[in-house]
Amino acid sequence: MAIKKKRYALVIDSRKCINCKACAVACKAENEVPVGNFRNWINEDRQGEYPKLRIDFEPEQCHHCEHPSCVRVCPTGASWQRKDGIVLVNDDECIGCRYCMIACPYDARYFHEASGTVHKCTLCSHRIDKGTIPACVETCPSKVRVFGDLEDPASRVHELLATRRYRVKEPQTGNGPQLYYLL
Amino acid sequence: MHEFNWGLLIVVYLFLGGLSAGLFFAAGLANYLEVDGQPAYPRIARMGALLAPWPVAIGSALLILDLGNWYRFYKLFMHFRWESPMSIGSWLLTLFTLIAFVYGFAWLPEDWRQKLFSKVPPTWKQVHRLNVDLSGHRKTLAMIGFPFAIGVGIYTGVLLGAVSARPFWNTNLVAQMFLFSALSSGAAALLLAMVLDPKNPIETHETKFLITLDIVFIVLELFIILPYLIHGTLSVLAVKQALWLILGGPYTVVFWVFFLGLGLLTPLGIEVYELAPSLLKGHAFHGSRNLALAASGLVLFGGFLLRYLFVYAGQVSSFHKMGMLH
Ligand code: SF4
Ligand code: SF4
Repeated sequence: MAIKKKRYALVIDSRKCINCKACAVACKAENEVPVGNFRNWINEDRQGEYPKLRIDFEPEQCHHCEHPSCVRVCPTGASWQRKDGIVLVNDDECIGCRYCMIACPYDARYFHEASGTVHKCTLCSHRIDKGTIPACVETCPSKVRVFGDLEDPASRVHELLATRRYRVKEPQTGNGPQLYYLL
Repeated sequence: MHEFNWGLLIVVYLFLGGLSAGLFFAAGLANYLEVDGQPAYPRIARMGALLAPWPVAIGSALLILDLGNWYRFYKLFMHFRWESPMSIGSWLLTLFTLIAFVYGFAWLPEDWRQKLFSKVPPTWKQVHRLNVDLSGHRKTLAMIGFPFAIGVGIYTGVLLGAVSARPFWNTNLVAQMFLFSALSSGAAALLLAMVLDPKNPIETHETKFLITLDIVFIVLELFIILPYLIHGTLSVLAVKQALWLILGGPYTVVFWVFFLGLGLLTPLGIEVYELAPSLLKGHAFHGSRNLALAASGLVLFGGFLLRYLFVYAGQVSSFHKMGMLH
């Protein structure tokens, strides 16, 4: 049997988000993210004045771009992309120049003080490779995040993107972000 | 909250790299110009050649120290990634620094060179083999170095301009702006060094040459900055919002008063004031020492501020955060 191509992505239903930040905490615990740094976070958008007030919550993290500008600018090849689309940093090759942090349109990367290298969301590749799902996805109590393979027609991400309207953030940068926000 | 990933060390490095490029360019040019078969500005050529390698060498050292893992900097040379301006830049910078040192060596006075090598232990035979007179190859070396100097001057701007995520930088004008600023800084640094040299007081024809050169570069720089502003305000919303950083936002005073006013137009005014009578009315060029000091100092200040402004303001500008700044 031919090996099937994979393309991992996240579909995010922001309207279900209640800003409990369980995803951010789960990620920090799973990936030992230092205090003060985050691999994922919740954007808050407030509009209007009390009592006519509206707040939208929108989870964000590395978009595992199709054409990641972080990978393009990295001088050593430490930032790289797997065949399944996951963007990673090879910690042994990173010299800590931070050019990739500057090149990321979403400020998704952080400088790890102890190692002197740049870290970011790995989409929990260590879990995915064992057949499970990312920690943030597993934890989310209101099922905001749906993780899956875009190349698999039977997957839930496929179904959502086929039946719902969605947007991606800052498509004009040409990065081809793979976080799909349902409208 | 936005934090700055690149700070003052990067600003200093960008400035010093450009400074070396400008010094090399002006010195090489001075080496080429001849009057009646004689080099017209031999002292400028030598001063520039001896100064050029140092700023870029110091700047590169600072850059390496700024890395999260400085001892891994050799990894930069294990790869050549043509898509990464930093990868191309590290090669360019290294080659340019080497050429600049060789060129400076070619200009070392004979007795200095002998004195230098007399300090090397006589058993180090390989090192003593380097004690050769390269003065006959100065023109060739300058010729080889020119494209590398231009390359280093321009790449510091490309480094920033290539980042599509930062609308403040992402225009092809930044590269040229940095290049002309670098060339102007080099001419100004030479003027400053010649004026401050206690043993050989600068002569008027030398002042005139350097001031003329600097005026040309400053005017070229202005011709890039104006389109940058005009084009930016007519561009897409993200670029317009990024330009707000210097058109009302936090960097407005630094840009208009300190960079454009003090660092660019004031020295230009001084230099034109010095040159105009001899250029337009055929009067003899006098060249005031104090005015030369003031103009060259201000140009260097302006060159530094340009990099400061772009490194900091550029990092603040980003597609998804700009709207929130207002
Ligand atoms: S979101 Fe940023 S860090 Fe993630 S792949 Fe895209 S450019 Fe790279
Ligand atoms: S900080 Fe590391 S991963 Fe980022 S561009 Fe530099 S070497 Fe590459």
